[in-house]
Amino acid sequence: MEAGRPLFIPVILGTARMGRMSLHAAQLVTEELGKRAGIETDLIDIARLPLPTNDAGEAIKHADYSAKMDKADALVVVSPEYNHGYSGLLKHVLDSCLKEYIHKAVGIVGVSAGPFGGTRVIQNLLPVMREIGLVTIFWDVNFSSVQKAFAEDGRLLDESYIRRIDKFLKELIWMAKTLRQGREQISLD
Amino acid sequence: MAVVAKTDKMICLQCKVEMNHHCDKIVYNVDANDAGKTDPCLGGIVEEFHSCPKCGGAASRHA
Repeated sequence: MEAGRPLFIPVILGTARMGRMSLHAAQLVTEELGKRAGIETDLIDIARLPLPTNDAGEAIKHADYSAKMDKADALVVVSPEYNHGYSGLLKHVLDSCLKEYIHKAVGIVGVSAGPFGGTRVIQNLLPVMREIGLVTIFWDVNFSSVQKAFAEDGRLLDESYIRRIDKFLKELIWMAKTLRQGREQISLD
Repeated sequence: MAVVAKTDKMICLQCKVEMNHHCDKIVYNVDANDAGKTDPCLGGIVEEFHSCPKCGGAASRHA
């Protein structure tokens, strides 16, 4: 492993809906990641990815998104829960890559207006993550009643989320370091 | 038809160093040209995944 190469852990905002409260959650996690030494991050807003919808999978790979996934050591996926599921656009984006994800860590942040904090969308995302080669961590962040967690301007109203995010990110970073070592140094053969 | 893993190392296009083969995965989204590459025991094409120990870049190829 090249000494000193920072970990790159982008945050994917998994909704294009107007007025999405998940934006505040994604910005908060990105800010918390950015405070850590040796970590580079970026907020990837899927609403800004111009993927075609008349095809799917790696045939519609977006060069910039692919390059960021290739560089990434881990991902954070911030997903609202829409009718107990994830947005179709998030799946469309995730499906556009494969080799870029293999043996990389992923942590999921669930967001909901109700009391369950996106637990159902997280459960629904787990088999998708597994199939595209990502390695899920066992910490999640659950933003329940998200309209009470953030002010309209995005300011965090409930500071208890900072400690939860800290635990989540520590686990994600440990897994990112471990998997980088495995990808780059430990042969399958 | 048995599919045998290739033994030659992939080379990182950016760093020109040998990459580490760390994963095999079955892929199913095959086109007509790939039909003969399907492993009948595994039900799909075996894809190898490699990472560069210098830059971390990923590459893949059919086994």
